[in-house]
Amino acid sequence: MMAMVATTAAGGLGAALQAAEALESIVSGCVGPEGRQVLYTKPTGDVLFSRDGGRLLEALNVEHPLARMIVTCVSKNRNVTGDGAKTFIILLCDLLRGLKAITDKERSSFGGSIQSQERHWKNCCQWKYISQAILTFQAHILDYIMAQYLSKHFLSIFSFSGEEKKFCRSSLELLLDAYFCGRVGRNNQKFISQLTCDYFYKCLSHEDGKNEMIDLVDEYFLELCTAVTGLPVSSSRIISGFVIHRDFSVYCPADGDMRIIIVTEAIQPALSTSGSELVVKSETQFQASHIWVTERTKTIMNDLQSKGIKLLLSSVKQQDAVIYYAKLNGISVVECIPSEEISLLCRIIALSPFLPSWATSQCHISDAALVKFCQPILLNSKRYVHLDLLSTHSFIPHCLVLCGPVQGLTDQHIHAFHGAFKVLRQVFKVLYLSYKVQGNIQNETSNSVTPKDNKQSHHLAEVYRALFERQCLGSVLKSEGNPSGMQSHLRVTPDLVLSSIESENSIPSTTHTHKIKGNFESLMCTYPNKIGISNAKESIVAIRCDCDGDSLIKIPDEHVSVVEQTCKISSCTIIGMTSKEVFQNASKSYCTSFIQAGSVLPVGGHFEILLHYYLLDYSRHCQQPEVSMISSLIANALLSVPKTLYKAKKGNKSFCHVYLRTLHALQAKQWMAVSQTGLESVACKYQLLTSVLHCLTKLLTIDLVIRINKQPQKTGDDEAEEDV
Amino acid sequence: MSRVEAKKPSLCTCELLTKEIISKSLSVLREIVTSCYGPSGRLKQLHNGVGGSICTTSSSSFLFSNLSVTHPILKILTTSVQNHVSRFSDCGLFTAILCFNLVENFQRLNLSTATVIKISKHLLSLCTDYLNSESCGCRISIDFSNMKTLLCLVQSILTSKPACLLNKKEADHISTLILKAFLLTIPEKAKDHAILGKSIIIPLKDERVMNSTVLPGIVIEMPEVQLMRKFPIKKLPSDVLKVALFCISMSGDISDPGDGTLVISYGVSLESAVLDQLLNLGNQLISDHVDIVVCQKVIHPALKQYLHQHHIITIDRVGISLMEPLCEMTGAQTIGSLSLISPTSYGYVKDLCSTNFGSKHYFHLIPNDSTVCSLLLCNRNETAWNELKLACQTAQHILQLTIRQPLALLGGGCTETHLASFIRHTGINVPECILKVNDCTQTEYKIVTNAFCNALQSVACSLEHDKGKILTDRKYGHFWSIQPDFPSNVKWQDLVSKCGCGLYGNQEELNWCLLQDIHSFAPLNSSVQQATNSTGHLTLDCFTAKLHGLQVAVETASLILDLSYIIEDKN
Repeated sequence: MMAMVATTAAGGLGAALQAAEALESIVSGCVGPEGRQVLYTKPTGDVLFSRDGGRLLEALNVEHPLARMIVTCVSKNRNVTGDGAKTFIILLCDLLRGLKAITDKERSSFGGSIQSQERHWKNCCQWKYISQAILTFQAHILDYIMAQYLSKHFLSIFSFSGEEKKFCRSSLELLLDAYFCGRVGRNNQKFISQLTCDYFYKCLSHEDGKNEMIDLVDEYFLELCTAVTGLPVSSSRIISGFVIHRDFSVYCPADGDMRIIIVTEAIQPALSTSGSELVVKSETQFQASHIWVTERTKTIMNDLQSKGIKLLLSSVKQQDAVIYYAKLNGISVVECIPSEEISLLCRIIALSPFLPSWATSQCHISDAALVKFCQPILLNSKRYVHLDLLSTHSFIPHCLVLCGPVQGLTDQHIHAFHGAFKVLRQVFKVLYLSYKVQGNIQNETSNSVTPKDNKQSHHLAEVYRALFERQCLGSVLKSEGNPSGMQSHLRVTPDLVLSSIESENSIPSTTHTHKIKGNFESLMCTYPNKIGISNAKESIVAIRCDCDGDSLIKIPDEHVSVVEQTCKISSCTIIGMTSKEVFQNASKSYCTSFIQAGSVLPVGGHFEILLHYYLLDYSRHCQQPEVSMISSLIANALLSVPKTLYKAKKGNKSFCHVYLRTLHALQAKQWMAVSQTGLESVACKYQLLTSVLHCLTKLLTIDLVIRINKQPQKTGDDEAEEDV
Repeated sequence: MSRVEAKKPSLCTCELLTKEIISKSLSVLREIVTSCYGPSGRLKQLHNGVGGSICTTSSSSFLFSNLSVTHPILKILTTSVQNHVSRFSDCGLFTAILCFNLVENFQRLNLSTATVIKISKHLLSLCTDYLNSESCGCRISIDFSNMKTLLCLVQSILTSKPACLLNKKEADHISTLILKAFLLTIPEKAKDHAILGKSIIIPLKDERVMNSTVLPGIVIEMPEVQLMRKFPIKKLPSDVLKVALFCISMSGDISDPGDGTLVISYGVSLESAVLDQLLNLGNQLISDHVDIVVCQKVIHPALKQYLHQHHIITIDRVGISLMEPLCEMTGAQTIGSLSLISPTSYGYVKDLCSTNFGSKHYFHLIPNDSTVCSLLLCNRNETAWNELKLACQTAQHILQLTIRQPLALLGGGCTETHLASFIRHTGINVPECILKVNDCTQTEYKIVTNAFCNALQSVACSLEHDKGKILTDRKYGHFWSIQPDFPSNVKWQDLVSKCGCGLYGNQEELNWCLLQDIHSFAPLNSSVQQATNSTGHLTLDCFTAKLHGLQVAVETASLILDLSYIIEDKN
């Protein structure tokens, strides 16, 4: 027993709060426009600058298991939204603090008569109960408030002129300004923001191609940026065309458009290929084969020249003879190009690599692209190749040259630039909410099944698993746990209707919690994984799985045309109440709720204050004490963000002034979003909030941290990403 | 199975600049750097304590590349300076000292870093605007038809490197050589964009400095063996020599057989097959009337012998760095094949002769008309030679930068003091809009301006290492230094002789005062150009390098001030 005690540590609220507060103290130094830079050194000795909360948290290498769990959650959210790591920690901390205050109050009213061990377990059960309630709250009431109340305040970065939707540059600039305020050093915010905005517009060929363009930049940002050290940041610039980060092996200046080919293997034939053998019978034969090899190389190069090829881009090192004959034929050669650059080039100019054929005398060039010019460019004291490509893509190739006195700084700018494109992707995307405004309340009650015992639920599960499989769910399951994939899927099925039908799981949570505990985390990892598919032929089925940790129950609904799978632990009372609440409030509307693409709000905690106001309002009118409690808990925690932002401000700009002013305006229904300083994406903010709530529930359901000496055994794919 | 070790948690440090250890190490490094600055700077001896080579230097690039700085903040500062030096070669110490001064001065102010950074950014933009403007009083434009100013520029660079151990005469000689070599690299027939040639520095250590010289063309060291042979050139007086330039190995090694296997029958010798091939190549070279064969790698002795018999000179192992200038000089194309050589790939030189420098023998390839030249650089010992080579490279780079932007700044501390007095003067009356943009009050602005100007002035003061007093004049804002033990009853005018850059003398009544007592005045900035023509020797600095150094110093200082804490990953 003593040994056991030595290797365990209490989980739950207190421990989680401790861990989160430690992280908060690190992060709070670089939040917001007043935040400062952090220097961090890598084990390799590199010195880097950063204000990216996610990177910093990862750099900390925290040992505490709960803290590590928080860091993992932060990273996951940041990978999707590109921003918000610092706000994540602040919000989480305040939520935990709020919860602690509530439980402390309750405990003091109870009195401390129960034995400590027993109380510990009881607390765990209570926290678990709360965490379930929070999840349900998020899925229904939060989404509902977002859709019903908050959405009317949203600004859009699109400007509508008649039918046409165009995004306006000034809004985009404000959005990027606000983002870079939190990400790069004070000196360069404006400049880098302007540069990124210019880059965006220069690369954009037409507005419809923006998503494709953003995806491309996101994927290949390392190839598109060149860091130059030793120059002031203000020397950074955008150059049109593409920079290959290699020097010419042969440079033959040429004017006008030139044809290029890409090769990925050696042009000169080898004496023997792998798997074959060359039998040398005499000296002359060996010499002859050498001469043949050289002759072939010469013919190929002559042939390329006759076909007007002026530039050869190779991903491998070519033989000296190739270089020699290229030079004689006036063909420029660039060798050893990294494979990423080759694949980006192939994508931009839609070119496939050229395969030299040694057998025939004529080589067949299926693909040759045109470039406007190709010349050396001197960057970072190195000579690189500068191509002006004629793009066949929605992306007009441009490269960003980022200068700075030290590499740590250019690195920071490159990463911030990358994050900016992630944010832009979120902004231009419709975010669907899990809350579905549905007309028919009967639908809900009649079809919801209350699995009283596991046998029945097992049976049901069998039936609908079969149904699932018949509907070719392979593709669906693949996209599990991939929110962006899910959303794109949703987008292609516009008539999709998300079901929010609830099933009620009436297993008394108090007796089951310790059993559930083990599996809960794994389930939480995959949550939320709502996947929608539509099938035109068959009657489409809505399935919702409610997991109680022991069994997977799938409940059908013949009327709704969506398959929805949500792993969730729900408790009877909360669910029953919330669905009723939701449907009462929203029964008039029929549309699917979503956050429109391009929805933005001014920076400076306006999103938080607005949501705070409506949540508080909701909690005041809500009859259920639990819901009211959670609502006000989240509402109050939200204020921590503007509080931190306005910490240093005085007088008219102080937090109290801003807060009261906003509240006043809201009560008078006169609140108008004014975008003076910057904008932020609502979708990003909302995703951040939900991630925080999920992280919170995850933390609350852990009651004990046990240190084990061997590797934890993997029980399933779902658990693989979490190694606490 | 690989051993998995848990990562150690990182170390997090906050309240950086006020920590004693950091401020102490900052000031130690600042003192090292400051004491190296200028013509009278003190030399530093770097050695590793276990018998490695000793390096005597005062240049920032040797200093920073050899010092092992551990603290991340110092690392940022030194890498920033090193990056600047790798771009511009010059003004490394200036950048470092200014950056140290700025960090220390700003950190002492009791203002929020946000305000300090904003204002210093604004001040920097004032500086760059002023230096770039036509009315700037501390820059001169360089006339390439007049060699005097160019020579001054080169001399200033050489004299600022005392570790070269040159006397006045030697410094003048080397400066002339550097300038001569530079002029040889400028193509005569300038097209729309001229490409500068290359001057190659040939080391001649343990020789008298005055033996240094510049030769057109390329000088390649001759191996001992070749000395024995007579020079077999059968050259007609007016003829040119045909050159073949190989970049592949001619040593008779067997080329890569590919991924498969090679099965060789008994009695077949691949070596002799390859050698046969080489001799065939030799025959082709003979029939093409090639006079000189140059190979980047090794030539097989048998082929060498064969070519010699046919009066062809072979030069091998020249290395990759010489290949490009060789191509440029001869007009040849490097040959990458042992068979099927195109006759168009040969190049030509005017002549080849052998020369001796010291105990060594050299081939000297003399071009017809080319922008390639060799600078044979002599100095007494290894470390002084290294320093001299660095100074020469710096000077060459500076000349290239100057041809791109034909401007120079006044050296000897005058630019710094002049700029400081200009900034101080503009700080008297700051428009309301600037204060609003920078979100600061008039007082805050003044405090930061004062710290900024003091940092600039103390860079100038770092030039003085012998406890001399620093004066400035109230007319031009130039830098004047006087002996430390001056009699108290003498006028300033009798103590000073010339200002730091050498532009002004003591003839004029310039209203001198001690630098630290200076109050704001409007520095006169006209008539610089006329004054330059009348005076003899000027100390000049490269405009581009110094301007960038200024920017980098301010930016780096801002970066360091903006740090809130450090996370050190100690894995």
